[in-house]
Amino acid sequence: MQPCVTASCHTIEAESSVSAHDDQTDVERVLSGEIAAFEGIVRRWQGPLVNLAYRFCHDRGRAEEMAQEAFLRAYRALGQWRKDAVFSTWLFALATNLYRSELRRIPAQAVSLEDIAEPWDARASDGSLDDKNRDLAVRRAVCNLPAKYREALTLFYFHDMDVSTAARSLGLPEGTVKARLSRGREILRSKLPQLLALPHLKEA
Amino acid sequence: MQQLTGHDDDEINRILSSEEEILPSSGFAVSVMDAVRREAAAPPPIAFPWKRALPGLVVAGFVLALVFVTVVVAIAQGIRASMTAQFSMSLPSVLTPSFGLHRNLESAASWTVMALLATLVSVKLSMRLASGRL
Repeated sequence: MQPCVTASCHTIEAESSVSAHDDQTDVERVLSGEIAAFEGIVRRWQGPLVNLAYRFCHDRGRAEEMAQEAFLRAYRALGQWRKDAVFSTWLFALATNLYRSELRRIPAQAVSLEDIAEPWDARASDGSLDDKNRDLAVRRAVCNLPAKYREALTLFYFHDMDVSTAARSLGLPEGTVKARLSRGREILRSKLPQLLALPHLKEA
Repeated sequence: MQQLTGHDDDEINRILSSEEEILPSSGFAVSVMDAVRREAAAPPPIAFPWKRALPGLVVAGFVLALVFVTVVVAIAQGIRASMTAQFSMSLPSVLTPSFGLHRNLESAASWTVMALLATLVSVKLSMRLASGRL
């Protein structure tokens, strides 16, 4: 497993370890008829589920709608959770499956690569974009990748570069996810060469 | 094209790892719980009436199997007849088919009667099922 590099990673990992027992307790209570216990699950996982949805659609309103639907489906399917996997793994797999099918049904607003490559900052008229615009352009370029590469990249970075967790969420073998990540990055590199022409490299 | 693949990957990793995080709106959890309570309060979905449908399904399966067997037998008979015709070219062509024609008509009539009966039974059964008298 690769090391975590972002704040979200620490948040998710901490929540996972601390809440595993709470999740199990709440699930048992819900299954015994105490519906209010589901609120504990919602409050613990609303942040990660909404953020995962947001990474898929880049629309806050839609992200919340998709996350709500994911919680509803989790509630309906709670009895199907086998305790051999951590609850969060099951929940993320369920949500990922839903988000993928939702995005296939109604795709997120696409941005053409030509639009991204065009420098829109007046200060960047020499051909290189400033860092902020370049970062944005790379993210938008990810949105324009074919679904299978985009999904692999989205899950990989959401789970803080942990291939096995991303693979479990996608329900795919690790090798397949690695291949898709590699191909996705390759496409990004080939389509956006000017975005990665960094000023400090030029100077060196 | 640039040959910076290792560094490119680092850059892509850096950019995509630092994606902005959003906070769910304040009423999100409440809204989810409202939806969950509505879901819990809703009557359970009506189960498929297997008990009522089973006789109809059995009859339908039987009829389908019968049709399949009939078609296979008819095809086999057709092939056999054509092969026999090839070998009996020397026989007078007017005499040979008279027996066959009679038998074919008889068989067709009996199958038609059976098909009509099956239709009648299935219509009656479905009407009784629809009116809930079964």
